[in-house]
Amino acid sequence: MKTKLFALAAGLMTATALASVPAKADVKIGLLGGVSGPIAAMAPAMIDAAQLAVQQVNEQGGIGAGENLVGVVGDSACNPQGGTDAATKAVNIEGVVGVVGPHCSGAVLAAAGSVTIPAGITLITPSGTSPEISNLEDKGTVFRTVPSDDYQGRALARTMKDQGYGKVAVAYLNNDYGTGLANAFKAEYVDELGGEITQFAAHEEGKASYRSNLAELAKGGADTLVIFDYGDGTGLTILRQALENGFFEKFVGGDGMKSDAVINELGAENLSGFVASSPVGAKSESLTLFNDAFKGVGGDPDAIFANTSYDAAFLLALAVEKAGGKKEDVAAAMMEVSNGDGEPIRPGEWKKAKELIAAGTAIDYKGAAGEHNFDAKGDVPGTYALFEVGSDGFEVITEMK
Amino acid sequence: MELLGLVNYALFMAIFIGIYALLALGLNIQWGFAGLFNAGIAGFFAVGAYTSAILSSPAVEGRIGGFELHFVIGWIGAMLAAALVAWPIGKICLRFRSDYLAIASIGIAEIIRLVIKSEPALTNAARGISRIPRPAGDLGYMESQIAYLIIVLAVLIAAYVLVERQFNAPWGRMMRAIRDNENAANAMGKDVEFRRLEAFIFGSALMGLSGALFAHFNRSITPEAIDPMVATFLVWIMLILGGSGNNRGAILGAAVVWIIWSVSEIATDRLPHEYAVQAKYIRLFLIGLMLQLVLRFRPEGLLPEPLRGDQRQTKSGADH
Amino acid sequence: MDFLDLINFYVVPGIVLGSIYAFGAVGITLIFAILRYAHLAHGDLATLGAFIALAVVTSLGFSPLIALPIAIIATAAVAVGIDKVFYNHLRERPKIVTVMASLGIALMVRAVVQVVWGVDTQTYSRGIVRPEDYFGIRIRDRELYTIFAMVILVGGLQLFLTRSKWGKAMRAMSDNPNLALLSGIDNKKVVMLTWIIAGGLCAASGFFLGYNTELKSMMGWHMLLPMFAAAILGGVGRVEGAVLGGLIVGVAEELSVLVLPSEYKAAMAFAILLFMLLVRPTGLLKGKVL
Repeated sequence: MKTKLFALAAGLMTATALASVPAKADVKIGLLGGVSGPIAAMAPAMIDAAQLAVQQVNEQGGIGAGENLVGVVGDSACNPQGGTDAATKAVNIEGVVGVVGPHCSGAVLAAAGSVTIPAGITLITPSGTSPEISNLEDKGTVFRTVPSDDYQGRALARTMKDQGYGKVAVAYLNNDYGTGLANAFKAEYVDELGGEITQFAAHEEGKASYRSNLAELAKGGADTLVIFDYGDGTGLTILRQALENGFFEKFVGGDGMKSDAVINELGAENLSGFVASSPVGAKSESLTLFNDAFKGVGGDPDAIFANTSYDAAFLLALAVEKAGGKKEDVAAAMMEVSNGDGEPIRPGEWKKAKELIAAGTAIDYKGAAGEHNFDAKGDVPGTYALFEVGSDGFEVITEMK
Repeated sequence: MELLGLVNYALFMAIFIGIYALLALGLNIQWGFAGLFNAGIAGFFAVGAYTSAILSSPAVEGRIGGFELHFVIGWIGAMLAAALVAWPIGKICLRFRSDYLAIASIGIAEIIRLVIKSEPALTNAARGISRIPRPAGDLGYMESQIAYLIIVLAVLIAAYVLVERQFNAPWGRMMRAIRDNENAANAMGKDVEFRRLEAFIFGSALMGLSGALFAHFNRSITPEAIDPMVATFLVWIMLILGGSGNNRGAILGAAVVWIIWSVSEIATDRLPHEYAVQAKYIRLFLIGLMLQLVLRFRPEGLLPEPLRGDQRQTKSGADH
Repeated sequence: MDFLDLINFYVVPGIVLGSIYAFGAVGITLIFAILRYAHLAHGDLATLGAFIALAVVTSLGFSPLIALPIAIIATAAVAVGIDKVFYNHLRERPKIVTVMASLGIALMVRAVVQVVWGVDTQTYSRGIVRPEDYFGIRIRDRELYTIFAMVILVGGLQLFLTRSKWGKAMRAMSDNPNLALLSGIDNKKVVMLTWIIAGGLCAASGFFLGYNTELKSMMGWHMLLPMFAAAILGGVGRVEGAVLGGLIVGVAEELSVLVLPSEYKAAMAFAILLFMLLVRPTGLLKGKVL
């Protein structure tokens, strides 16, 4: 029985193996994302942003000795089953030198735990915000370009206090992203700053109505609703129903809420009381570079986690270049290409980076979503700014500290 | 692509198939032999996974657990916990006939999922539990996969032999009798309710064990892993496609479905680069289509239930 | 909390939500009663209906309410087609085989929606619609349309089932298929009618969900379990029961926030269902025991 199974599996795999002999020696990186599943609406833009980095590398001389960099897209389906399956295929079948993604923390933990850490492949996630990722025993191979949600939640709390927000109610999506941000926000806003949170409630995704939730949230008399959710998912529904029914005057969102879908579907004229935080690069010069480049390929730079995805892919490419294409050295090289020391490299400056690496000069990537100076756990401190909705989309109000 | 990579991928698939085969075996006890429509597989899978995780992972502030027990104890605990959860559910719900039991069990599984997602002190809520030790996890990549595969296969074979023996024993005949004609079995003096409960608990314990194997393999368990699609419906497809009522069919079904599920992505990756994202949707379409084809041409499953007397005829008529 | 708040923020949204569930639950209950299996592709068929309406709105520039009938007809045709191509061959097999097939159809329909319309969140019309005030009860016009449409469509269906020849044939098939077949009822036509009705109602369900909130490619799948709960709650085979079940599930979900933490909102439908199955296994209105 078992032998038959293996024969079948082996047969299938040989067939695909024969079909996939590459034309020339490509260097592959895995782009794993939740293409199907609960974040299906967010994943395509994130993958496109990562592909932009790949495209820029190839346009500016390729990787190593002019080889083509190829982004192999895998569907992690936002669950551990899909995440590990996609990761093992990327690592073993495609032979990638590093992995960007998966997108959801649960898939990251599982893929790292069962595939990439044992295989010694570097993994860099653009959107896995769970603090559990920091604590992985990862031999230094797991990175992320999105700050742990603890950082953003606290920074948002401080900024809101500075901006004079008073009593607030908090609604958060019941997943690792929403829970993490909400708890960090609460810890800072209430315990450190002495602010008042009148209501603090989680909600499930995908429901058609949240009006009763909103009515409950409004009970404490807060005039501000803080939403930790996704702006092209449930967060949009909540914001819509709050606006339509006149709950709350002011709305504050985390980076997930800074989505063009909010403006497109609700109309900028209705969003005068809405602000959202989002990661930005130092002095935003890097961000502008990325935004223009991404618009150039038809992408929407305001899409959630698009800039962190781009940075993750670009950083991985830099690390691969630095490591000379050796898989086992990529993780160490990742620490070197973005640690605050060296010649600054901005999004899209592949050619410059390649020359500097070849000359042995230290480089420091300053990304679209922040400077990404990795700490020992492979985490980055964030750089955040608060945005409001203006006539041309989102506009910066203030830096967040 | 190198041979080593292929071997590693095959090992990974075999481990996953083994884990899902255990789920399918558990379901086969419930549906294939006792006719119980359990649509809440994810619930028992989750209870097992989290129990073992709590028993064997290091301590974390603000959450119960941190016992750091040996994984074997974790796995036994997982089976016991799943059985313990199954007992009251079975006691209350087994009186419903097939479709109602399905709806009741799916409801209970959803409630279990919501509790797991929402209780930080018990399960670390949405963030899940990580740093679960993996047996033989300190070895190199391939060695550790081989070691884990051996463990999974040992568990699977043990479960298979045990279940198979039970089915060929008088107990199995009695279960089939109850499934095919409850009234007659009752009239023969069989305690129908109790026997059903037995099958339900036994099957659920296997599902719990499978959850534990899954959590230890990935070194983490998060609520996304117990989504009904991947933890309930997928297992049903495996059993029905493999052949319900046949243990080897259940295992074969797990293998075939997982191979379709996994390899279909490699196939759709051959589409042009611009369609890399669309290819993933097309992949799901192909999986659905494959399922239609198999059901159309092998509706009794790849390995049908072996004929025992003339029961086959009665069965297709009696399924709700 | 005063009484009007209770009505405005809990009961009215609950009724609107319940109406949306009811459209789906009626189809599920009919399929359950006449074809005798659980149709798991129902949610994704609703998604398809909603997106067909979107295509009509965006490409032809019709108003959403005019797009609705077109979507109903198109989705009914798709449902009949799916039955002819896939389910029909499995008619004589154990019903569980068809249940599995419908799961595969769910994946396929969703994939089609994602390939054709993409995965971005979309709406029929931009902007927000604030509610009107009717003697203190605040309700949006589209919510009124939802409730009216539900009453009209389901009322019409009920008339059809009780008065017309084919409606009676459908009920006969549901009550006693063997007897119905013996008395010369054309099984094929009844099956087709069932799919036309179920498919059309699916489209209405998806459309009104999208009309009241947004369109997403997973929207129908998320509704599937509450719709099943509503169908069973009302009593299998009872159209008015499915409506009642849908309304109860909808209102209970909204009211649950008053007593339970809001993350457990989704559990409410199942808690009611389990309770109902224990005390009254035939559902609220006496339905079939499967």
